[in-house]
Formats: sequence, C-alpha cells, structure tokens
Amino acid sequence: MHERLSFYIKRNSFLHQLNPLTKLTLTMSLVLISFVNSWYWTPHLLLLIMVIPLSYIGRVNEPFFRTFLRLILPAASFLFLMQAFFQPIGDSVIFKIWFLDITRESLMFAFRNAMRIVVMVCSFTLFLLTTHPSELMSDLTRRGLPGQFAYVIISTLQIIPQMQSKAQSIIAAQRSRGLDTESSLLRRIGSLVPLVGPLVFGSLVEVEERAIAIEARGFTSTHIKTSLHEIPDSNLDRVIRWILIFLVIASLALRIWLS
Amino acid sequence: MSIITQNLVYFGIAILIIIILLIWAYTTKRLQQDFNTLTWTLIPVAIAINVVIGQIVVTLKLPVYLDSIGTVFVGVLCGPWAGAITGMLANIIWGSIIDPNAFPWFPVAFFIGLVAGFCAKGGLFKSWWKVMITGFLVALTAAAVSTPIAVGVYGGITASGSSFITAYLLQTGQNLLPAVLITNNLVEPFDKISTALLAFAIMQGLSTRFLARFPRPQNVEVQKGVNWVQIAIAVVIVIAVLAFYILVVVKLTSQ
Repeated sequence: MHERLSFYIKRNSFLHQLNPLTKLTLTMSLVLISFVNSWYWTPHLLLLIMVIPLSYIGRVNEPFFRTFLRLILPAASFLFLMQAFFQPIGDSVIFKIWFLDITRESLMFAFRNAMRIVVMVCSFTLFLLTTHPSELMSDLTRRGLPGQFAYVIISTLQIIPQMQSKAQSIIAAQRSRGLDTESSLLRRIGSLVPLVGPLVFGSLVEVEERAIAIEARGFTSTHIKTSLHEIPDSNLDRVIRWILIFLVIASLALRIWLS
Repeated sequence: MSIITQNLVYFGIAILIIIILLIWAYTTKRLQQDFNTLTWTLIPVAIAINVVIGQIVVTLKLPVYLDSIGTVFVGVLCGPWAGAITGMLANIIWGSIIDPNAFPWFPVAFFIGLVAGFCAKGGLFKSWWKVMITGFLVALTAAAVSTPIAVGVYGGITASGSSFITAYLLQTGQNLLPAVLITNNLVEPFDKISTALLAFAIMQGLSTRFLARFPRPQNVEVQKGVNWVQIAIAVVIVIAVLAFYILVVVKLTSQ
C-alpha cells in the first residue's frame, strides 16, 4: 500500500484526543476571527497566545516550527515585502528607494496582512499535524457527510503521490530519450505534450476499472454503513465547539457594531 | 482600508451564491444528473491531474499555471455541477496538503468548472476554435471572481509572480480594485485558453467507447470541417465582450 500524503504525526496528546470536528471548528474560528476582528493586534495575539501554545499542547511543536520556517515564513515575508513596498497608502514616508517609498501606514498594513495569512496557514498546519484525514472523514460521514465526498477526498490523497512518482519516471524516461526540457520557451512548450500524454491517458484508463470495483462493493447504496472504529466525542468537545462558535459570532457582531 | 472590508463582504457573498446555486441544482435534480459512479471515480483522478500537471509546468518553467485541466475535463464530460464540485474539492485538498495559500481560491475553481460545463453543454467544445472561446469565457469568469479574493484576503498583492503587474499599476496611481482586475484580465485568458485546448487534445486521444460511459459524451463529438461564417461571428462576439469588459474597467477606474 502506498503511503498517504499527509502531514499527520502520531502522538499522544490532549489535542490528538479531541474530536476531529472540534479541531476543524477551532481552525476555522481562528481564521475567521483573525480576518473579521478589526482590532489591529488580533492576528498577532492569536498567533502568540493560541497557535504557538497549541502546538506545544499537541506536542507537535518541532515539526510545526520546521514547516513554519521552511514553508510559511518565506511566503509570508515575500508577501510582507511586496505589500510594504507597493501599497500606495499613507503620507509619512520612512525611506525611499528609487521610486518605491515605504510609509509608516503601508508598513503597518503589510505587517497585519502578512500576519493574518500566517495565522490562517499556521492553524491549518496545526490541524493537519494533529488529525488523521481518514479519522476526520469517518467522523464527518457519521455526522451525515455523503460517503462519496469522503471517498473523493481520501482517494485523492492516495492518488496524488502515485501520480507524482509516475510523472517523475515519465520525465526521466523522456529525458533519457533526448526530450528537451531546459532550452527555449517554444521547445519547452513542445515538450509538454509527450510528458502530459502518457500520464493522463494512463491514469484515465484506471478510472473505469476502479468504478466497477467500487460499484461491486455497494458504493451507491444508501443504507447506513457501520464503522469499524468509534471516534470519541465527549461533552468537553461539544462545550469547546459552542464557545468557539459564540466567539466567532461575537467578533462578527462587534465588527458590524463598530463600522 | 474600507475597500478591503468591502471585498471581504463580496467574498462572503460569493460563498453564499455557491451554496444557493448548489441547493438549487440539488432540488431541481440538475446536480444528480451529472453524477454516476464513473464521475465519482473520475473526480479524484482529475484533482490529481490538476496538481501533477501544475507541478510539471513549474518544472518546465512555463509562464502559465495550467492547474485546472482536470476541472475543465470533468466539467465538459460529466456536466457543469460535477465540474464545479471538482474545482472546489481540488482547491480544498490542494490547500490542505500542499500549499495552504490555495485554500481561499476555491470559489474561482468552482466557477471555472461551472462555466466550462455550461459552455460544453451549449456545444462550445466541439472544435478547436470553439474550445478557445470556452477558454476565453472561463478566463473572464475566473478574473472576475478572483479579484475580490485577491483584494479581500491578500490586500491586492498575492504571492504569485503576476502581482508585479498589479504593483506596477498601483505605482502609476491606479486604484486597487481596477489594478487587480486589469492584471487578472491580462494573465487569465492566456492560461485558461491553453488549459481548455489541452483538455480538448486529451479528449480527442480517448476512445469513443471510454467517453460514452460518462454522463455527457455528446459534448465532445467533433465537428468536421471549418465553418468560416461561424468563426467570423464568434470573433465579433469575442471582440464585443472584450470591449464591454474594458469599458467596465475604465468606468471603475474613473471613480
């Protein structure tokens, strides 16, 4: 069996034991609050007092910070620089390079915007680190998500790595036959077809077989299916979820009230 | 600042429209028409095609994304609603395993699949020049939907390379919204027309027996011969749409 494409790390912690839906609600409410709340320091505070401590509670702080440094920080800094340079707002110029001027306002603006993106990406990373995709899907199916959606998501997670390795071997094979993948633009456009063709036709042929296979296993049956392992959903989970929903509504109401 | 709040509201409205459209399609049985078991098994493969071809394009350093070929493919062969759901799930999955920055763009992918599906239903996927028109219409939709997201979520400047054009336009004194809209309209048609043409080429390579198992194989029956009158009418319509669009952009700019 091929390895699934996921961030998930198996640990024994409070965060791992929570119901997947609770963690999803937590992630969504962190994102929504950081975007909706109008106070300038909200995203910064959320990162400091919620996301980072949660990564310690979930005992995934080490991989979390590694992802943060490798993926999130470069993208966020790029975004910050682009916005600081190019947002034409504010008057108090701090310094000027050629035609670009950095003002106090644009700097503040860029900082908050980058921070919002960081909070969004970080909370999703945290969610993925502590939740196994199939656990989330079986919990959501139990709550009424159609089984077809669960199938699509889980099997996509399996197919993507398979297809990536297939693509790598096709690229290597075509290169060894002398396919030009590095020279002029026209040549590179021309070499797209011999790479895409075998990949796509190969994987489309499998679709039909797979359809017959899952049809034979009662895929379209509408009966309620039983699950092999139960996913705990305690009272604590329910309380946390309601508190989070209340907080989101409160910050939305506050935003409308103040504007 | 206020323009960003406004656009976040538009983002909310876009999500609301998506939900309403889906409920409408579900209650009028339009949604169910597009789905058989083969559709459900095609969707994961289509999403993987999106992701993997997107990565091949990055390896080849081509100046396009081509990350919605699978979405267009499903939209054409299985119907608009299946295409829309494929696009949405593709972005949600892409966002949750590869690059979380892809997540906010799922309304764009939704409308790409939907528009491609409707164009194919109207017979616009039967010869190469009709496919180019489909690509063009998809691009206009994508540009219109992605603008509020770029402005609302990222403040107009995203982490992609085309943002340099936006930044340039901002420096020349353009307002934020028209600047992003103009950038998207410059970048999208090129990308989406090549996406549609590639999807068309793939379908031409598949056997009729295989295609016949999907819900809408009649969408891709090839028309032989070229009808020049039709091409002329199509070119006029495309120019008219473009002129109208530019007019709207100019109007927005002068505000």
